[in-house]
Amino acid sequence: MKNDYLPHKAKITSIQKESFDTNTYKVVFDDKKIKDTFDYKQGQFAEISVLGVGEAPISITSSPTRKGFLEFSIRNTGKVTRAIHDLKVNDPLFVRGPYGNSFPYDELKGKNLYFIAGGIGLPPLRSLINMVMDNRKEFGHVKILYGAKTPDEVCFKKELEEWKNIPNTEVWLTVDKPCDGWGCSVGVVTELWKETNVHPENAVAILCGPPIMIKFVIARLAESGFKDIDIVMTLERYMKCGIGKCGHCNIGEKFVCIDGPVFTYNQVKAFPTKEHAF
Amino acid sequence: MTLKKILKSDIKELLRQSAKEWEVYAPVTAEEGDTLFTRLPKEKGKLEKALQGINLKDEWVVISPKDAFFPQLEDMFHFDKEKIIDTPSPSKKLIFGVRPCDAKGILFSDEFFKKNYEDKYYLSRAKDKLMIAVGCLTPPRPEACFCTSAKTGPFLESGFDLQLVDAGGAYLVEIGSDKGSEFVNAHAKLFKNSEKDEEDKVKKIKSKAAEAVNLKVDFEKALEIMKGKNDFTENYERIGERCIYCGGCLYVCPTCTCFNVLDDKKGDKGVRRRNWDGCVFRGYTREASGHNPRDKKSLRTTRRYEHKLKYDYSATGMSGCIACGRCLTSCPVKIGMSKFIEEITTGKRTM
Repeated sequence: MKNDYLPHKAKITSIQKESFDTNTYKVVFDDKKIKDTFDYKQGQFAEISVLGVGEAPISITSSPTRKGFLEFSIRNTGKVTRAIHDLKVNDPLFVRGPYGNSFPYDELKGKNLYFIAGGIGLPPLRSLINMVMDNRKEFGHVKILYGAKTPDEVCFKKELEEWKNIPNTEVWLTVDKPCDGWGCSVGVVTELWKETNVHPENAVAILCGPPIMIKFVIARLAESGFKDIDIVMTLERYMKCGIGKCGHCNIGEKFVCIDGPVFTYNQVKAFPTKEHAF
Repeated sequence: MTLKKILKSDIKELLRQSAKEWEVYAPVTAEEGDTLFTRLPKEKGKLEKALQGINLKDEWVVISPKDAFFPQLEDMFHFDKEKIIDTPSPSKKLIFGVRPCDAKGILFSDEFFKKNYEDKYYLSRAKDKLMIAVGCLTPPRPEACFCTSAKTGPFLESGFDLQLVDAGGAYLVEIGSDKGSEFVNAHAKLFKNSEKDEEDKVKKIKSKAAEAVNLKVDFEKALEIMKGKNDFTENYERIGERCIYCGGCLYVCPTCTCFNVLDDKKGDKGVRRRNWDGCVFRGYTREASGHNPRDKKSLRTTRRYEHKLKYDYSATGMSGCIACGRCLTSCPVKIGMSKFIEEITTGKRTM
């Protein structure tokens, strides 16, 4: 019988520092067969292990359009991510997956897209963002609204610059606490509504961030006229197994790991629990 | 249904013979007095000692035999430097003397671990199992058993390989599957043919046993209520305040399947294990960021009741509660599923 709990060995081929506490790890599976058959979709996640320390669910931040490797942008937060941050290039990392559903893609074609993220919420959106950028002509206007606590916390600084230079694409940044020379907005991400138009016509908003941010962004999107079904989000939950068995990520009869992590706001509203801040 | 018969005095011999081919789990009363499902040792002296403690009376078996398939703590795989070594395939298991409600719990878990992704650890243990159930003439936990309300006992109608019906000096044996039939044939000397009137006798014993279950709740109504729109916030908040979050109810529940995963390493070698976990614990949903969607006590209580009586039922058609009553008997502050069902079906406050 197949054992879905066994991770596959991969090697870290590069480490890119993204912010003061977040790195992007590029990994390649040792086994050629796994490398060739590990097909993932935008928004899926993997379970990543450091043997002897533990395993954690991490979203795949690379785009499925870019083959042969996986990227994970990982913030140094808990026991496992701390151990990952101690690793160097050529060190092994153990990976199994991909798990979960994915962001819509074909349904987004021709639409204007608003990517709205807070803090470490940008990495889970990066896969879809780069997929859109790789097929840029198929989509309408794209705006990336990104809020972080401090300029140090802003991830993907280089890519944000690149995205900004792509036609029909805008990047808007804001931080809670600016530093000297910070040229962008100050305040929470909804402050960006003052800077740029957020218009619901032919548009879909894709969100990821801390619950409190999601709550205010949803309220703001509703004020701007967005329908619940046009608000898409990827949810974070404690997940141990990734395959609907350990129980930790259950919400009602759904498991975030297999039924999610991507949900539309009308699906989230239909959750039968009061566990959500939004 | 074919009916066979085995003398009570032949049970030990049956287990002796079975232990050669099977990994046998049976209720054994320990010196301390608790009756637990115990894996019978293969070695002769130890086996004989264990057989002395075999207890098929209507005893309160502390934990259902679910841990034969889903151990409280188990190795998932070992590793040596960067090499991963999967755990070996388990041998086939015979669960002897399982109570009808507990057998229902195992059937429920079989479906759960098969659904979506297959859980290799559970299923490789459970796939070749043989379940020999024993019905209850009187409820083992008289103040807590409510199997007749949930139709999970005191005898099974299906799902067993063999079912023993206590008829005094012998057990009448119902055969419920081909595997059960094969087992009977393999031990043909011990299983006798039943007499003509003994089918009637079985019916009488079963109906008397059902009458002996005193605690009754409106289980079907509870499932219907939980399925529909309802608001039991007051109940959940009150029960949530009363609960001391010891998790006892989860550990003794035959259908609880949640687990945690942890690594252990010494030098280059190590092991990844999983152990039982439970939704009433505060840390169960806490994320690395510190955010905890179920930090509030009442939300954890809500989860427990809604999972068992609502989501399991809507997802599988089977209730996650099999009416064994163990949550009530294990609870230091007398919270229990039967009491909750009574509250929501009658409107009376019970806790």
